[in-house]
Amino acid sequence: MPFIDRAQASLHSCFSTTRFGYGTNAEERDAMNRRLRNALKGLTAPDVERRRRAMEPFVRATFGIFIRYLYRYLGNEVECEDVLEDVYADIWEKADRLRNITTERELLRTVYLYYMRKRLRQVYRRINRNLCLSQRDMKNLVAPELGILEMMSQTELRQALRQMLNRLKARERRAIELWMEGVSIRAIAIELKTTVGAVKMLKFRTMLKLKKMLRDYCYEY
Amino acid sequence: MPETNREIQELLVDYAGALRDGCIPTFLKSLTREEAQSIASSREFWDATEVARILNSVGFADNAVTPNVSLFISRVNAEIASRLKKAKASSRRGKRATGARPLAKRED
Repeated sequence: MPFIDRAQASLHSCFSTTRFGYGTNAEERDAMNRRLRNALKGLTAPDVERRRRAMEPFVRATFGIFIRYLYRYLGNEVECEDVLEDVYADIWEKADRLRNITTERELLRTVYLYYMRKRLRQVYRRINRNLCLSQRDMKNLVAPELGILEMMSQTELRQALRQMLNRLKARERRAIELWMEGVSIRAIAIELKTTVGAVKMLKFRTMLKLKKMLRDYCYEY
Repeated sequence: MPETNREIQELLVDYAGALRDGCIPTFLKSLTREEAQSIASSREFWDATEVARILNSVGFADNAVTPNVSLFISRVNAEIASRLKKAKASSRRGKRATGARPLAKRED
């Protein structure tokens, strides 16, 4: 089937490290870190103008990381940009939390906990009044607590997922690969020569299996 | 028209689909009271949503990265400028409330 070839090609490009946006060699990564470090220093300065000047290099250095992270929860480019705009303005207003940050992982964790989470919770607050879902479940769905998987970087996730997919059964792997290509459940059912209900169950079980495998992977490394 | 009383695996697939298509509000609005209750009590659902988010991130997050960050930076600058303006306006209002007005009245 032609869309299967497309799915495999797309998945291959998904997992290739060059698309991550950091560049591949250590020198390039260090250069970005230095830029980010300088921007962070400027952001935490008491002078308003200096903070404002530091904002541009900070946004340039972190935009890719932050928007990919937000996309995890929202799945919508427009909403991601709106939330991120507020997050950056909040950071500019009160950057105290970013004072002693040394690594990108720490930066992402701090920004999520103290800036992004609050904004993510506000995204669907308006519609929450008319929903059957409780306030707590809504929060957990849109802006959950940080689990061990949530803190893995994009590169680590790609690597881990590639390994885990190879350990799945062929049918399970195919279902997930097609899903990640954007194929509908009905089309997956046709491809796997089964029913829509069976694909839903297969996907659910495979995701639980993946969760267990990813958790074990995290503890191992 | 949303299906009523979906099973937990159906709810998970619908959530993952909504996340992939960027229409989470549609999924949230489609939930009935019974479905919301079964979501709340299902540990498996919450475990699977974590994986759904990761698949979404690995598979589609690159779509969100715009090649031209400059436009976004100008939006951030505008937001900062607007907050600065608001802060200045409120501090001016605060000053007026604390002392400037009564002084002017006394001169009259």
